[in-house]
Amino acid sequence: MDVLLFGLIAEKAGTDKLSISAADTSALKQALEQRIEGLSALSYALAVDRKITNGIVELNGSEEIALLPPFAGG
Amino acid sequence: MSETKTHKIRDIFTEGPIAPAFIAESIAKHSTRHDIGAHEIFLGQVRADSTGGKFPAPTAAIEYTAYRDMANEQMIAIREEAFARWPITCLHVHHSQGVIKAGELCFFVFASSAHRQVAREAVAFVNDEVKKRLPIFGKEILEGGEHVWKKNV
Repeated sequence: MDVLLFGLIAEKAGTDKLSISAADTSALKQALEQRIEGLSALSYALAVDRKITNGIVELNGSEEIALLPPFAGG
Repeated sequence: MSETKTHKIRDIFTEGPIAPAFIAESIAKHSTRHDIGAHEIFLGQVRADSTGGKFPAPTAAIEYTAYRDMANEQMIAIREEAFARWPITCLHVHHSQGVIKAGELCFFVFASSAHRQVAREAVAFVNDEVKKRLPIFGKEILEGGEHVWKKNV
């Protein structure tokens, strides 16, 4: 599945999109933290289909995933 | 300008700064609505902050990016909450994308109602919720070229 990256996280990863397979959000986070150096030390939220998720959510591969660093709008 | 009550997805993002003329035009569009007695407007302007510490140079500009689809969906929810809580006639929200220099406008919230208190409270609410809930990211470009990532506190 495609994972959209924004702001500081996109900068660290050097791209705004990664393709990763994972069965749930916990496995996804682990895979992302291996792929993006320094991610585990950052504050970020995980959005599944444009909603912030907490806890472990199962993924079927068709979701729109995004990694969101702290917000700065307004 | 009439506001539909269905709260369709609309794009709140504008490329570049929000022009003062656009704000004037937005105000002018409401002259046909004779049920309105009060307009409340909030304008956010990019400030030449200095974060101090490692990067003492002041902010020259903020480059805004956003997860637009999610931000626009969140804005619908905030709009629905505002209309449910206050009898506002209409509500308009615009946020910049791209590089906005210090002194330029990046955020425009505009609510209208019959009486002032309603519009005032609704704008304060929308302002706070946008800061908390919209996935908008800001890269503060400092004088001298360094950058730091802004975060709302």
